[in-house]
Amino acid sequence: MTFKSFIVALGLSFGIPWLLIILVPFGKMRNLDPVYFETENDGKDEIYVPRRSGLITTGSSVYGANGCYICHTQLIRAGYAGSELGRADWAGFQIKDENGVSVNTARETTPFDYVDEPFAHIGLMRIGPDLTNVAGRIEKYLEEPLTKAKSPESWLYLHLFNSSLKTKTLNNSFACPPQPHFFKEQPVHGQGSPHAVPSLSKEGREVLPTPKAKALVSYLLSLRKDDAVPYSLNYSRDKKKAD
Amino acid sequence: MTSESSTGTPDQDDLKLRASIDRSLRHPVMFFFASGAAWLAVAIILGFIASYKVHDSDFLSGIEFLNYGRTYPAHINLLFYGWGCQAAFGLIVWLLARLSRSECRSTGIILTAGHLWNFGVMAGTLCILAGRGSGKPLMEFPPAIWPFLLLAYVFITVWSFIQVRCSYGGKTYVGQWYLLAAVFWFPWVYLTGHLFVFVFNGHPVMAAGVNAWYKYALILLFFTPVALGTAYYLVPKITGRPIYSYSLALYGFWALAVIGPWAGMQKLAGAPLPQFMPYIGATATSLILIPGIAVGVNLLMTLRGHQAHIVASPSLRFTIAGIVGFLLLGFTGMALNTPATLKMTQFALTGYGFEVLAVCGFFSMCAFGGMYFIVPRITRREWLSRRFIGWHFWLTTYGILTVVVCSIMGGLFQGAAQEAYGSSWSDAASRSYAYNVGTTVAWGFIALGSFFFMVHLLLMWARLGKRSQHPTLLDGGHHEESPHGPDHEVEELQPAEA
Repeated sequence: MTFKSFIVALGLSFGIPWLLIILVPFGKMRNLDPVYFETENDGKDEIYVPRRSGLITTGSSVYGANGCYICHTQLIRAGYAGSELGRADWAGFQIKDENGVSVNTARETTPFDYVDEPFAHIGLMRIGPDLTNVAGRIEKYLEEPLTKAKSPESWLYLHLFNSSLKTKTLNNSFACPPQPHFFKEQPVHGQGSPHAVPSLSKEGREVLPTPKAKALVSYLLSLRKDDAVPYSLNYSRDKKKAD
Repeated sequence: MTSESSTGTPDQDDLKLRASIDRSLRHPVMFFFASGAAWLAVAIILGFIASYKVHDSDFLSGIEFLNYGRTYPAHINLLFYGWGCQAAFGLIVWLLARLSRSECRSTGIILTAGHLWNFGVMAGTLCILAGRGSGKPLMEFPPAIWPFLLLAYVFITVWSFIQVRCSYGGKTYVGQWYLLAAVFWFPWVYLTGHLFVFVFNGHPVMAAGVNAWYKYALILLFFTPVALGTAYYLVPKITGRPIYSYSLALYGFWALAVIGPWAGMQKLAGAPLPQFMPYIGATATSLILIPGIAVGVNLLMTLRGHQAHIVASPSLRFTIAGIVGFLLLGFTGMALNTPATLKMTQFALTGYGFEVLAVCGFFSMCAFGGMYFIVPRITRREWLSRRFIGWHFWLTTYGILTVVVCSIMGGLFQGAAQEAYGSSWSDAASRSYAYNVGTTVAWGFIALGSFFFMVHLLLMWARLGKRSQHPTLLDGGHHEESPHGPDHEVEELQPAEA
């Protein structure tokens, strides 16, 4: 085998997989065709626009830079690949619809769930829980009797400052590492800052979240998958056709 | 064929050529080995801290830059780019110069590019620790850094590529194929990974897919061929026999080339992207056992009947540990990527165990083997202390084995608890607790072992090694003949048509 044919063979053995699992799928997924609600299944005829509000891009980069993705995943795998769909409050919630009937909104992650993010933080090793629906879960945590947080934001600020503070019951040995660098402490002036985290203030001192913390919390509160997706995109077990 | 029958009086010109190659490469190669060893020590300390934080989140919790979310990526990135790549550069540059029998004439440029690489790695690591990392696994260095690293890479390895190109045609060696393939694939893998994640504006899930593929491509298409190329050079060289089977070597090489590039996307099983991609990745990772067995059988059969050499030669001992590591990598790759186990291992500590096995258990062991062989030749001094080498070997081997076993076992328990969706989530963390503690302790032992190695290497670089004609051997016996063989025979023993 000559040098040239050796290099060509190396190029082919690498180039074929490169073409088939990198280049072509990347090109195909670049601009996904929009998905429509259809009259037959969804009862309406319009385009599906995934919506998220908050500081998504900035928050996503703060999330990455501080390594949240190492312990937290953001993926509800399909049923054949994993069991997230079954775990309570991870993939969706048990809610009552307009007729008072209990429905489970649990569904798999769709390609539109990472909208506005440059990179899907799928996650590495799940030491902490999945965050696909963390915003919805926090609303439930606020109803727990022992919680010290009063709003979703303050729950997350307590979690970031020192995760053992947000409730009195949590076993702290596997808690999220404290991230006090997201906050700054300052003396109270006048009536105090409206942005101060309530449960962290001590006599004469208040604790304020930094802009990074605000972006991160805003991003985390955008993580909820409870918008109505078209029937064709909804992989939920309990999905129903519109009447 | 034994070494006695093959050795004639070495040609005086040959000896001179080898000496001049070694002299020309002394500074670049020692620079890569020593800075690699220094980064390895930093990576191991960061690994210890990160691992400690997994089971005790209050450990060093007041220090912002040592937060778990920053120490862990810094640890992994240093292990890959600080240590792994630089060890590989040193091996590639020296081995390809020796195998293509030509002096290196670009040492100045290689050294400059080496400094650029180190500067990039340092800047990237400081950025990660300062909270400015990119947040994409194994690409955590800020996006401004990768073009510089790629530039440095090109100026480090392009000379070796040219050397092989010019000398190709006469004799080629199995080691040469592997090293040449690594040199050829690395820029493609590196450029693909960074362009598709940082530059091209694609779908976020596909970017994550390319990122997952990149990690495996780097392991299987760069670290693996460099380690195997080194092993294929050292084993025949030290034992003085040709490799057991030429066709098995050919088969193992092309098996790796054909299987390797498909692996990696199993991280995205169940994610919203075409599902053949993750499962073909899982299949390819399972099939790495094929080149594993081909290489393992071939090299171990070559060594059959040379127990004395294995006991005595530090290079051979590390190389064998590395080959066993490659076999283990094949078996764990197969066990952890079946449809049933992938559910549990996709998001568990097992992935970390697999990476440590690949980079530390397999690649690093082969690289250490190469270094124990190369450094005395380029410094013209022998290793100072048999004891240091022994400590390094045993602490590293047992340390890495413990990290790998603990991460994989702990990860399997963790993954099984994650899959049991009816029971409490906190089970997932608590079931791996004991294994996490084990990992931390093992990193401590590895740190000690690598400390012995680093000190030893720095003393050698300072040319404080023994001025002796006899290599430092581990059994302390006196050998009539060096188990490293007369210094000329691999070239004569190993002609093979690629």
